Amino acid sequence: MPLAYLSDYSWDDVIPIPQDDGGENPLALIAYHDDYKIATGYLRAVMSIEEVSDRALQLTSDLIFMNPAHYTVWAYRARLLFALKKDLEEELIWVEEVSRQFLKNYQIWNHREVIVDKYDNPIRELPFIEEMLELDSKNYHVWSYRQWLVRRFDLWVTELAYTDHMIQDDVRNNSAWNHRFFAVFGKGEDVGQSVIDDEIDYAKSAILKAPQNASAWNYLIGLLKRGERPMSDIEKFCNDLAAVQTTEHAVNVDNDRISSARALEVLADIYNSRNEVDKAAQAWTLLAEKYDPIRENYWKFKKSQAIQRLAATA
Amino acid sequence: MHPRVHRAVFRSRAGSRTSNSSILISSTTSVDTASRTKKNPRTRRPISTNSNTGVAVAMTAEQNNVHNAAVSVVDSLITESSTSQDDVVRLCAGLILDGQLPHLQRQLHADFLTIPMSFQLPPNYTGLDASKPWLVYWPLQALGILDPDSLTDDILSRIGPSIMACLNETEGAFGGGNGQTSHLAATYACLNALAIAQDEDVWLQINRERLYKWLMSVKRPDGGFSMHVGGEEDVRAVYCALASAALLNIITPELTEGTAEWISRCQTYEGGIGGAPDNEAHGGYAFCGLAALCILGNPIEMIPKHLDVDNLVRWLSARQYQPEGGFSGRTNKLVDGCYSWWVGGCWSILEGALSWITAKDVLWSKADLQKYILCCCQSPRGGLRDKPGKSSDFYHSCYVLSGLSEAQHRYSFSPKLRDSSTGKWSFMWAYKLELPDVVIVDEQNTVRPINPVHVLPAGTGERMHDFYAALGALEL
Ligand SMILES: [Zn+2]
Repeated sequence: MPLAYLSDYSWDDVIPIPQDDGGENPLALIAYHDDYKIATGYLRAVMSIEEVSDRALQLTSDLIFMNPAHYTVWAYRARLLFALKKDLEEELIWVEEVSRQFLKNYQIWNHREVIVDKYDNPIRELPFIEEMLELDSKNYHVWSYRQWLVRRFDLWVTELAYTDHMIQDDVRNNSAWNHRFFAVFGKGEDVGQSVIDDEIDYAKSAILKAPQNASAWNYLIGLLKRGERPMSDIEKFCNDLAAVQTTEHAVNVDNDRISSARALEVLADIYNSRNEVDKAAQAWTLLAEKYDPIRENYWKFKKSQAIQRLAATA
Repeated sequence: MHPRVHRAVFRSRAGSRTSNSSILISSTTSVDTASRTKKNPRTRRPISTNSNTGVAVAMTAEQNNVHNAAVSVVDSLITESSTSQDDVVRLCAGLILDGQLPHLQRQLHADFLTIPMSFQLPPNYTGLDASKPWLVYWPLQALGILDPDSLTDDILSRIGPSIMACLNETEGAFGGGNGQTSHLAATYACLNALAIAQDEDVWLQINRERLYKWLMSVKRPDGGFSMHVGGEEDVRAVYCALASAALLNIITPELTEGTAEWISRCQTYEGGIGGAPDNEAHGGYAFCGLAALCILGNPIEMIPKHLDVDNLVRWLSARQYQPEGGFSGRTNKLVDGCYSWWVGGCWSILEGALSWITAKDVLWSKADLQKYILCCCQSPRGGLRDKPGKSSDFYHSCYVLSGLSEAQHRYSFSPKLRDSSTGKWSFMWAYKLELPDVVIVDEQNTVRPINPVHVLPAGTGERMHDFYAALGALEL
């Protein structure tokens, strides 16, 4: 009989509730496989009385493997685990199996958070997160789960080293850079000036490896702002990367030697902050015409904004 | 040439900058310094989308106001990110034809989009069984701006029952399918689908008092919202809660207390907005955060009050890639058609609300986005897609077409459209079709305007809101 729900438990006493898709001719009907249709019929039945039982737990396992995006099943499963006082480490091991099969699924991570919070022990977490990030190094939900974990269990000490490892792997991994910013500033405490100095050096050396890398640049500029350092601190660094020679009113770029359009952008901001608007305008024009032309409108806007500001103050 | 593919020649901008053409040509051959100094035998080279066409490249691209030339400065260092980036540029290069834009394959896409109204979806859609309201909303929104005539009375009349099957009566909120737990994203998609249905009988079946209480039950003390009771807290949840409440005219100070401040905490050092405080800046969340601010109050005041606009604009501007023309969702990630809306929608809101930003021109290239959409996002089987090599789906069809609409229109926030009592802010958006000398618009390619806060065909959400407003205030 193919229409039975195959389970270790007896379901004879339960009358499955069929799915009501609405009206006689509903939109977006899905031609489910029979096993899914049957299992969700039992799910609706046990959920309608909020049954707490091992068979219901088994049902959620089966359904998650058929559709891991079924958030209702995950939430029910968490309630069952707690009500039945199940071994939560066993659950974490099971979730790891599911995660390996469904890499992109994100309901898993909310569930894991709920379980680990209750389990009150992060021992399995960092190795497992690392395994997942080896497979998908920019997975948004894994990184945000890691942030939650670090905060929840005060795991700050390992984080700089870990982001360094990920950044060594791929200096353009922006998720790793974002996590590094979190690792430095996330505690909300005052970080010392020496930490800011170290991070500025770190970002600069990463930029030298790939001078167009926006992740490292965003990090560097973010650091300067957060550390209340003037942008002019990196003027010489930018001059070298943009191969810029300046006179009092002119900006010249050596077209054969420029290695970073972003350096030129930062220089424009520095000139502008010093009210050297004609120099800033030349840098923006170079960006618009030559080094970052798809953002032409943006560079023109920056230029006209600066000129307007100058006219207003004159 | 394939007989189905008609081609529209770009309209050139009069007197465009011919002096730049030599620069663009030389930029494709310029040598990056790093590649000369490194001994790495495998180094990256600039890739132009014109490299395989062999025509007078830069000149034509320049006249067409699109940027098909390679980026002139390229790092030689190869990493996982750069390898996948180079692969995408090569894929797009094969599809971007110099000087020409393919037409929007309207009928092909409409046929694809009406599949959920005509057939059962195959079993591999089971993974979307907890997203049934979205499976209804995505194709409706796409058809609503592509081909509203295809939304027949028969289809419109079937929306109500299909959506109401997801309702949890005691909570007044909707789940991702029949009998599923109430969920903010599902509730948002259901109400948007009902807005498109324009069915007052169904609108009267919504119990707004209950839904309001449920919304308050997923509100968090820090000002954010959880997707469902016990679920994840993120800026999508905030947007879905507020957009739903705005449509139903049940926004109160109690519901919105602390929420703008919570959104503000989601803006990162990069300038974009993450899913929650400290998370990475992301195009989808940036839209949700900005749109939510447009519901919370007058966007002209709310956006600069709660966000660092300069940093946001800089980050948004960096989302558009050359030579592909499309948007990426995060720094160093690949272009993806759905960000045509998520990032493009941010632009439409900023352009509309902050006139000092765009007094003269927009801040990004509308022509290049249309190039990416028309050349790279149209699937030969119908429907729109993430990028070449991916299959089309309803989600991407919805947000790629919404992005195309955004690239063809100019939105403006117009508080004079109606009186400005609480809860009406997101229904004061006016629009006009962009002039053809600014953006390549071919009649056969045009899609209809949308409400940029609610992502609904213009007028539908407005009428739904007015319907509830006319019923009078709730006893809450
Ligand atoms: Zn996408």
